[in-house]
Parts: sequence; structure tokens; C-alpha cells
Amino acid sequence: MKKYIFGFVAMAGLASAQWLNYPTAGIPRTADGKPNLAAPAPKLANGKPDLSGVWMADGQTYFFDLAAGLKPEDVVMLPWAQELQKNRIDREHGDDPLSRCLPHGVPRINTNGLFPFKIVQTPGLVVILYEQLNLFRQIFLDGRTLAKDLNPTWLGYSTGRWDGDTLVIETSGLNGKAWLDTQKSRPATDALRVTERFRRTNFGTLEVVATINDPKTYAKPWTTTTQKMFLQLDTDILEFICNENEKDLPHMPVGK
Amino acid sequence: MMTMNMWLGVLLAAGAPAQWLNYPTPGIPRTADGKPNLAAAAPRTVDGKPDLSGLWEPVSKGADPQFTDIAKNVAGGLPFQPWAAEAVKARRADLNKDDPDGHCQPLGLIKMHLHPYPRKMIQVPGLLLILFERNTEYRQIFTDGRPLPADPQPGYNGYSVGKWDGDTLVVESIGFKDGLWLDISGTPLTDAAKVTERFRRPNFGTLEIAVTVDDPKAYTKPWSIMVNQTIALDTDMLEFVCQENEKDVPHLVGK
Repeated sequence: MKKYIFGFVAMAGLASAQWLNYPTAGIPRTADGKPNLAAPAPKLANGKPDLSGVWMADGQTYFFDLAAGLKPEDVVMLPWAQELQKNRIDREHGDDPLSRCLPHGVPRINTNGLFPFKIVQTPGLVVILYEQLNLFRQIFLDGRTLAKDLNPTWLGYSTGRWDGDTLVIETSGLNGKAWLDTQKSRPATDALRVTERFRRTNFGTLEVVATINDPKTYAKPWTTTTQKMFLQLDTDILEFICNENEKDLPHMPVGK
Repeated sequence: MMTMNMWLGVLLAAGAPAQWLNYPTPGIPRTADGKPNLAAAAPRTVDGKPDLSGLWEPVSKGADPQFTDIAKNVAGGLPFQPWAAEAVKARRADLNKDDPDGHCQPLGLIKMHLHPYPRKMIQVPGLLLILFERNTEYRQIFTDGRPLPADPQPGYNGYSVGKWDGDTLVVESIGFKDGLWLDISGTPLTDAAKVTERFRRPNFGTLEIAVTVDDPKAYTKPWSIMVNQTIALDTDMLEFVCQENEKDVPHLVGK
């Protein structure tokens, strides 16, 4: 039964087929003509790594459990949050906003290895287009700072800066409604501040590490283990309309 | 009245697009007195093409009037096939209760041009990206020279490729879902449609999109409209999640 919600979320989108097979430009090749995914990451004219491309999480490990690979003492939830988490699990995850076609929140939006996302990088702005739910995020790299009192949103407001070859994204202004993960159903509040560190370690690999800093929910900030994202070649993101012909809602589990 | 109610419902679901950040837009040309000079030349990318990038909204500073009736400026009205004329009549008689917009479905590429909320165009080599405030959606237009696919998976936005004709970006799209609405009145678009958009930025502050609909299933001949947009400065898009706390659908019942 716990698989239920995941099944729904997965099936609502149709398979991301290799429907077009339009060749990705600029793929480095080995001597035998195969894509050389171990080649160095491309760089922009300004010397910064170019993260552009179609990426997908390696499986759904972090989509189910954002704290995968961490010790229990690394993620210390305050009592009210433990209670809420237990309630969500008792109700068989039927209240997950994502199962109602509402946005994933950050950093969960990066983690579902069933759906690719596409990074489009310009000097002052990185845009991430997500196939699942057809959403986008803007990450401003033009030096602006996050305002103190932001209009609360599902995906927040994001600014980025380079720390060597790592793009460091800070996000706040989140509405506190999104769940951090699926199986574990971890909560967060509007005090959540997320730091994502994106590093393209070679042509074919993007490593993402997220730090959760939400003093209303967790006794201390915690940081995920390294999430691997792999470049998807010769394909693109498809249109995904979760809300179209939606028939699942009346059947969502509500607990025993 | 119900039509208007429905539209208002959708409008209100979003909250007002407030000037939440007031972060200054970089690179605005100025007149001698320091005001934005919207009549200045359009910027160009390194390859010399006009740069369409920017945040755009209808010149009407609200929904383009064609959002309600796309044929508003078409002399003699639209060349409907008989079933299509009937469909519009039936939809109007039914108070447009099935307008996809009222049900938080995507609008499709033409109606999106007419929507009141801002959209951001981002032009990079090989790709023109449009980000829409309305439902936090996006659209990709491939400008890397690829041809249109023979049989794309049908979608609300179809599949779009663009190429430059002088200073005009000519975008052709096919692959639409059947049964799209082009306006609140229910003007149809079918899966046989080919849509051509000609994007021009004649000056810094102006975007013109000439749209031609060639849909032999619904119309006896191609027809065109003009979309006029103006640049929005020192602001940005807000998050819009139509589906959140949605209360309108139970009231969209027709007569």
C-alpha cells in the first residue's frame, strides 16, 4: 500500500520515452565513436562549468528518503514534526501534495529519477525546466540577494553563486507545505532554507548535495549524501500535465 | 456573466502579480533625463540577431482583448468549418464551462500570448525558452536547425522550431492535442493545425507576434492575428499554482 502513491505519481506522467531521438549537440566521443561521458565537463566563455543539459536522478533513492545514507542522529526532528511524520505515514501518504498535482518543493523536485529535468544556463540566470508537473525554477546569478520577507511559494526564490566549480544555490521564501520526501514524508516549515550544491564532475555526471536548514522542524541543519544525476543524451523533456484527466484523487488512501 | 465569473475565478486564484521584488532590470537604454527609452534599438545577440529576451506583457496591461474573442480583429470573422462554428455556439450556450483555463489546464501557445500575466523570453544559442507566470509553465522553441518531427506526441504547446528570416524569428509548430481552445469563447484548434508565429522586436520596448493558424479541419482557409506586447521593467514573474486550493470547478456547470 505504501507503494500506492508512488505508483500514482509515476503513472500520471506517461513514460518519458526516447520519443524524438534528436541528437544532443557537442557530445565528446571515444575513439570508437561512443559518447565519452567521462570527458571533462564543458565550460563557458567565462571559465565557469556549463551545467546545461538534460539530467535525471539516478533512481528514486532520495525521492523516497532524502536522508538516505545518513545516520539517524544526523537528522533530528523536533517532537511536533515527528508526530506529523507519523501521522502522514499512518495515513499511507495519501496527503502528499504531489499526489494532488501540487509542486514538489525544493529540493525534492530534483530527486525523482523517473522524470528528467533540463538546465539552461545563461551568465546571470540559470533556469531549470522539470518534466514532472511541467514546472520551472529560476536561479539568479546576477548578484542579487534574497529579500527578507518573500511571498511564500512552493519552489521559493533562489540565488546562486560559484564556489570554484560548484554552483551554490540558496533558496528561501518556501511555503512550508511541501514534503521533503515521499516514503519518509518528512515535513518542513516556512523557515526552511535550502542550500543546493551542483557540481558537474565530468561530461555525464552532475552531483547534487542539499542542506536542509529549518530550525522550526529540525534540531540542527543536515546535509544529504551525494545525489548523482546523469546526463540524458539524444532526448528531451516531454509535456507533463498532472491535472489532465485526473482520476486518482477519490481513490487516495486516507489511513486505516 | 458566468463566462466573466469563470475568468475572474481563474484570475483571482493567482493573487495579484505584485511588484514583489522591484529588482532593477539590467541594460535598459535611457533617455537624457534618465527615463527608460523604450523606443531605443532592440538589443542583439553576439551573432547579430535581435535578442527577444525580456519580460513581456500585453500592451493592454491586462488580458489582450483577443483573449476573450480571438476573431476580434479578423475582418469578416473566422472561416469556420460548419462543425467548428457549431462548436463555438454550443460552448457559448454552455457558458464556456469546459474552457480548459477554468480547469487549470494549459492554454496552449496562442492563448498564452494573450494571457495577462507576464512571460519571460530567454534566448540562448539553439533555443528560445518562454517561461510563463500563468501556472509556472514553460515552452521550448528549438532554433538549432532541426526539422519538425513527422509525428510528435500531441501536446498543448505542440512542437516548435524556429529560424530567422532577417530580423524576424519564424516559428512553426505542429503536434497539438485535439480540442484546444484559442480563446474564452471556445474557438477551436485541432490536431491538424500548423501554427506559424513571426516574432519581431522592432525596438527595445516592443514585441510583435504575427500568428497564422492553418487548421483545415476547423477552418476553410488560414487566418492570422497580431499580438502586441510591451516590455515589463524592474519586476519578475511570481509563482502561480492554479491547482492550489482550487474552488471554481464545482461551479462551472453551464446552464
